[in-house]
Amino acid sequence: MRKRHSLKTSLWCLLVLVSAVVATQPLAGHHGRGQSFDMEKRVTLEGVVSRVQWRNPHVLVFIDVKDATGTTVTWAFENSNVHTLARQGYNRNTLKVGQPVTAIVNPAVNGAPLGIIVKVILADGSEIMSRERGNPLD
Amino acid sequence: MRHRPTTPLLALAFFAGCAGAAFGQTAFDARDLSGIWTITSGHRSISADVPPMTPEGEARLNLNKPTRGRFLGEPLNGQHPGFVRAVSVPADGNDPAHVCNPNGFPRLLLDPEPVEFIQTEGRLLQLFQWERTLRELWMDGRTVPSGDNLDNLGPAWYGHTAGTWEGNTLVMTTVGVDDRAWIDIFGFPKSSAARFEERYTRTGPDTIELRMTMTDPVFYTAPWVSDVKTFTRVAREDATFYGWYGLFSGITEAICAPMNEVDSYNNLFRDPASEGVGK
Repeated sequence: MRKRHSLKTSLWCLLVLVSAVVATQPLAGHHGRGQSFDMEKRVTLEGVVSRVQWRNPHVLVFIDVKDATGTTVTWAFENSNVHTLARQGYNRNTLKVGQPVTAIVNPAVNGAPLGIIVKVILADGSEIMSRERGNPLD
Repeated sequence: MRHRPTTPLLALAFFAGCAGAAFGQTAFDARDLSGIWTITSGHRSISADVPPMTPEGEARLNLNKPTRGRFLGEPLNGQHPGFVRAVSVPADGNDPAHVCNPNGFPRLLLDPEPVEFIQTEGRLLQLFQWERTLRELWMDGRTVPSGDNLDNLGPAWYGHTAGTWEGNTLVMTTVGVDDRAWIDIFGFPKSSAARFEERYTRTGPDTIELRMTMTDPVFYTAPWVSDVKTFTRVAREDATFYGWYGLFSGITEAICAPMNEVDSYNNLFRDPASEGVGK
């Protein structure tokens, strides 16, 4: 039996409740990382943003880091996908080329300068894209 | 003098309104599935209860190397072995979708990413944000192709789908799926002889329940019956980006472009991180 009622208020409040539930669900991933990264280990990188690939399937951020010998090493770290970051208020201009940042990442186990983002700390001390504050890995 | 309601009063009014809605009359059209939805419950496969497979099905399963799921060698804990065989690093997998082949049906439907249902008189369109692609579910009186018609049409990544309402449940049949696409992220196979039945029932203003059964006598010895999968409406604010609303609004499009997926992500990140690991 078909029924149609115009209970806009009740529909609206249910929408609010459902959206609160949905908002807590991290988006599901598509790739998997297997054993490529040590998710228990954290590396702190101080450097300068050299490139931001703001595109799916995952946003990649590249930063130039000087090692102990003064040699510059370009690290790349994986972030969530574009729409998840956008939903949290970030955009393609959140990090700019040349910007000094500190990145904390879970590093690749094979020693390559690659990592999975934990969080980024800006020059003023503010933290962005933080998994500790709910930024899902997807 | 104007009086401003306090927050507790607003909250009380809000929940009172919700309670009224919950215990009041139905506030939706049970035969209207329109909206943007996301699966919020149910297994990432058809269900955890995989039916016994034929030798041909087992052989095909073993050719598929998923990157998602649990790793080879982990304890089963009662799970079907097919869920515990992911490769140790993504680069060792052969997931067709990871080089931008279509997810196909039912894999894309099982993915908990937003999907918009657009319902017309004779057709339901499912627009998937992931892949930015669509399914046509015909309900104009036709039946799914069979015999020479199906053979001439040939397999399709999303098959050929038709059905009708049975009461307030939309019942759809899909045939002619392409056997190169996996059923799910775990790499379970389907043959082109597989036949799917989907049963959609709108259970509330913001929920649709889906039950699915796959019958594939080539690869499975019994029908694979799904658990109950709940689609929950995506709130408008969750489908709005920088003020632009819509399933495909701006940067939310999720086309799997080889330039992005393979040239960029796989080559620059995934594969270097896999090198020398887990071999």
